[in-house]
Amino acid sequence: MTGLSFAAPWLLATLAGLPVLYFLLRLTPPTPRRQEFPGLRLLLTLKTAETTPSRTPWWLLLLRLGAVGLAIIGLAGPVRDAPHPISGGGTTVLVIDNGWAAAHDWPRRIHAAQDFLARNLAPSAPAALLPTAPGPDGLPPELGPRMTVKDVMARLPVLTPLPWSTNRAAAAHALATLPASTRLIYLSDGLAGPDDTAFRAAMSRFSGITELRGAVPPLLLRPMRAGPDGLHITAEASTSVPPATLLAENGAGQVLASTRLSFAGGTTAHADLVLPAAIRNQLASLHIANRPSAGAVLLLDDGARRHTVGLLAEGSGQNERLTGQLFYLRAALAGFSPAHSAGLAPLLHAGVSVVMLADETVGNPSDQAALLAWVRSGGVLVRFAGPNLAAEPMPDPLLPVTLVGGDRTLDGAMSWTRPAALAPFPPHSLFAGLPLPGDVRVRRQVLAQPGNAPDRPGRQDWATLTDGTPLVTAAPLGAGWLVLYHVTANADWSNLPLSGLFPAMLKRLVALSAGVRVPPSGTVLPPRLALDGFGRLAAPGPAARGLAGTRMASTVASPIHPAGLYGATDETRAFNLGNALPQLAPMPPLPGASVFGLNLTRHPVAYGPWLLAAALAALVADLLISLRLRGVALVAAAAVLILAALPVAARAQQIPAMPSLATHLAYVITGDTAVDSQSAAGLRALGTFVNARTAAALAAPVGVDPAHDDLSYYPLLYWVILPDTPIPDGATLADLSEYMRNGGILVLDTRDAAAPDRAADAALAAIGNALSLPALKPLTTAHVLTHTFYLLRSWPGRFAGGTVWVARDAERDNDGVSPVIIGADDWVGEWAQAPPDAAQNNGGPDSQSELALRFGVNLVMYALTGNYKSDQVHVPELLRRLGEGADTASGAATPP
Amino acid sequence: MTRAADPLAAGALGATLPPLLIAAERVAATVAQGVHGRRRVGTGENFWQFRPFVAGDATARIDWRRSARSDQLYLRETEWDAAQTLALWCQNDAAMAWRSDPALPTKAERAGLLALALASLALRGGERIRLLDGANANAAGITAGNATLGLLAAALGRAGPGLPQVLPPAFSQIVLFSDFLDDPTAITAWLGQLTALPARGLLVQVLDPAETSLPYAGRVRFALPGGTLETTIARVEAVRAAYRAKLAAHQESLRRLCANAGFRLLIHQTDANPAPVLLALHQALSGQ
Repeated sequence: MTGLSFAAPWLLATLAGLPVLYFLLRLTPPTPRRQEFPGLRLLLTLKTAETTPSRTPWWLLLLRLGAVGLAIIGLAGPVRDAPHPISGGGTTVLVIDNGWAAAHDWPRRIHAAQDFLARNLAPSAPAALLPTAPGPDGLPPELGPRMTVKDVMARLPVLTPLPWSTNRAAAAHALATLPASTRLIYLSDGLAGPDDTAFRAAMSRFSGITELRGAVPPLLLRPMRAGPDGLHITAEASTSVPPATLLAENGAGQVLASTRLSFAGGTTAHADLVLPAAIRNQLASLHIANRPSAGAVLLLDDGARRHTVGLLAEGSGQNERLTGQLFYLRAALAGFSPAHSAGLAPLLHAGVSVVMLADETVGNPSDQAALLAWVRSGGVLVRFAGPNLAAEPMPDPLLPVTLVGGDRTLDGAMSWTRPAALAPFPPHSLFAGLPLPGDVRVRRQVLAQPGNAPDRPGRQDWATLTDGTPLVTAAPLGAGWLVLYHVTANADWSNLPLSGLFPAMLKRLVALSAGVRVPPSGTVLPPRLALDGFGRLAAPGPAARGLAGTRMASTVASPIHPAGLYGATDETRAFNLGNALPQLAPMPPLPGASVFGLNLTRHPVAYGPWLLAAALAALVADLLISLRLRGVALVAAAAVLILAALPVAARAQQIPAMPSLATHLAYVITGDTAVDSQSAAGLRALGTFVNARTAAALAAPVGVDPAHDDLSYYPLLYWVILPDTPIPDGATLADLSEYMRNGGILVLDTRDAAAPDRAADAALAAIGNALSLPALKPLTTAHVLTHTFYLLRSWPGRFAGGTVWVARDAERDNDGVSPVIIGADDWVGEWAQAPPDAAQNNGGPDSQSELALRFGVNLVMYALTGNYKSDQVHVPELLRRLGEGADTASGAATPP
Repeated sequence: MTRAADPLAAGALGATLPPLLIAAERVAATVAQGVHGRRRVGTGENFWQFRPFVAGDATARIDWRRSARSDQLYLRETEWDAAQTLALWCQNDAAMAWRSDPALPTKAERAGLLALALASLALRGGERIRLLDGANANAAGITAGNATLGLLAAALGRAGPGLPQVLPPAFSQIVLFSDFLDDPTAITAWLGQLTALPARGLLVQVLDPAETSLPYAGRVRFALPGGTLETTIARVEAVRAAYRAKLAAHQESLRRLCANAGFRLLIHQTDANPAPVLLALHQALSGQ
């Protein structure tokens, strides 16, 4: 496909005639220049004059031969990537891998397949479609009905990738019935599967196999590990890939954090997402930017993302204001961690990370065992002393120390001691480094058994009093910790709970907990939301069944168990695609197949016109040289040069030399000439309209290339997004972001409000993601944009009724001016076809053209004046308060 | 045909020289009043002789001062003063209307300028001018005066190609302006006729600098202006030396021809100042 071919190769045979031409040209000298000369009468008498014709100069000969040669080759029509029509009459079967691994570049795949079909097969040729992934109904892939290539091409855009792996064995089974003469076009995802052997064996039966492979391997997010310091994320690819960006989103789709996944030449990437607990608790999913695929999405469930604290509340009065112990704990925890108070069994079942017992004892052996098991699996049990604990019989397996019975009073009426202050935290302490307030005094405490008491191994004193008695002791148990505060959680025994140190200590304790995953229960959870092939949550398919939490880690996603969220809202568990998929490995190309990349199935590039143009240029040069030999060169050469310079001058005029001297609207040059000229015409018409109707003075619009031109001169940048609009490179993105940050307004128009074009929307989404646009909301009549000049209730372009998106939460930046306006109504197209006298023709105020131009005026005014007219939003309310009545309010509808 | 010579420019050029009195050994017997004494009695201003009164003489012609010194009556007679005629001719064909460079005057313009300047000088000297062209020989202005130059210029522009078919009056002075690049035999025959008149004069060869130097190079197809004659020279630079030698030989033969006929040959290039050649003409005609 990359080779060079000729449309009319037999024409090349005429190249053999060039030597003949060589001799002819060699014998024919160039025409001499003509010169009038009265001295000719004397010259005629000079019989010695040389009369043999001079030969054509060798360089002129070369030029002419080159010109003729170029013309011949040009006429022969050399074409790169020329279509190679497949001959023969058999059926063509398009085998498409439509599992999760094909989703990230799905539009390109479909485009490549359509392109390949269109170029290589007649529209009426028989063809069939064979997707290799099982359908949402759980049925194995089946060979589609026989139809024509044209019908297959029409059905391709409807085909979607599915969020599970392919079933190539079933596909091979479906192929088994086909005759060996069938042509196969295999659109491969390049990922090895468990059943490839059978598939390859089935495919090897056929001779005419074409394989289209994407160059970008799929990425898969493996189950993440939640540590106390952050989320440890692993991404995997089948081959080495460039770095990617991981985005962490909350349930509303807002990006809360992002990090870089660097594969460093390997196939796995590790990233740590370190987040404040409050932010971390909001996370709902992780996904890889610009990879719309179920594999690149990792759903998070409650157990994975929260370090919730359970407060055991069994005694009465614990919640009393200012006296209850739980009151202080709740107040201290409120800043960073959600706290539930419940009985022990519900707490452990809900999957809390930290359990706090405020002067509670757990006497029930089964409860004790459950708690100990929970701690061993990573829980942190924090206990507070109190009268109950002091009276408890020792030893208690849930304590890090053995206590001496009773408590110690430091400032009682019968005591000589004074309330004790805190000693500095020892360096091994969890609390090391916390600021030590000087006014914390402990009046009563429980005491640990001194000496060689049967303490827990690894007991640590995390905080002590100045007299050396421990205040906070801790001991590891399994993956968790047992922690004891030797004072109460309320202000009875000390004023520690009143100090700022208390919440800081609790925060470190909560962070210590590894985030306990509740041991999954065997309960079968119903599927609630399932990922589709592009990694978006949607209703589960018809074949989806419930899945027990215990089996989630080992189950491979399938139509029966699609990746997604399972269980009711209070107990949701995420089942991710990466849980049980085998390690990704690249699939070698099929034996005997001719392999093409997706990007190589480009449109053919015909060199013929260029060669002909070069030949023409050479002939013009030859003409100039001949004229020069005859003495008329200067004028002709000047004329030709001027003609040749005209297009250059036209390009040079597009960007004014000093764009800061006037206000120019600007549009991004897309490279599509028709679109660009329409943008220019539309903005020019809008400029005329604005100049006639308003006080603004706009100069001619300017086409800019964000990669090269300085954008800072232009208040408004109109960008028509085409399906093939590429994502700008990093420097350009930075320029665009800088432009928007500094008050520029970017208008993005996909022009597809009438018939949504998925490719254009994908391009818009890709560009929007790359630009990290602010959160958006639909434009309503409450927005300033509808008040800046005209009071607008609709904003049609060539299409009407499409949703226009503006920045949602922009009060803080740019004075609340939205830096981006996104729509699909093709305003510039409507402006471009506005009548030339639209500015004067006030006859149709409700015509779509007039409304579109009015919206354009508002856009320009919005770009020029920002939120100046934001008070207009309140005009109806102000008028109503003034009691002026409805007639005055309607008067406000005239332009200001 | 190119524009005629500018009479104003010619007058300005002529004003730099004194009036031209043509040196004349013999003057044609014309009735025109001039400055050349005919050494016989006639109408004039200069005293010639006293003659005794004979019956029939008008008494008014008696010179009483001379008669008072003797007994005889005498008449006072004046010398017959006649004007010399200057015959001018400028060749007026397509070759004369050619120039090698737009910055240069055509040869016809330069020839006309010289002719008019000469005529202006002669008119101021009281001489008569005659144009030697067949078309309007009789109409050629003879009178003096400023308007005459304009008439002469127009007449020069109307002249036909080829050598003049009209001969000048006997004993007149003739000045011929041409490039004289044609075959010298035609000129030889015509000069023989002039010598027989008799008449004397000058030939002024007006040449374009390109005709002297042949500055062209390469393969050139030469054509005669206004003619069908063409020839192609493959390498002009190869024949340049030969051409110059040929031109020199041609001029030498012209000069010999003139010497035989009692004429003189002046050579002028259009890129040169016309004043020196006009001075040379003045000196040659005034006998200095």
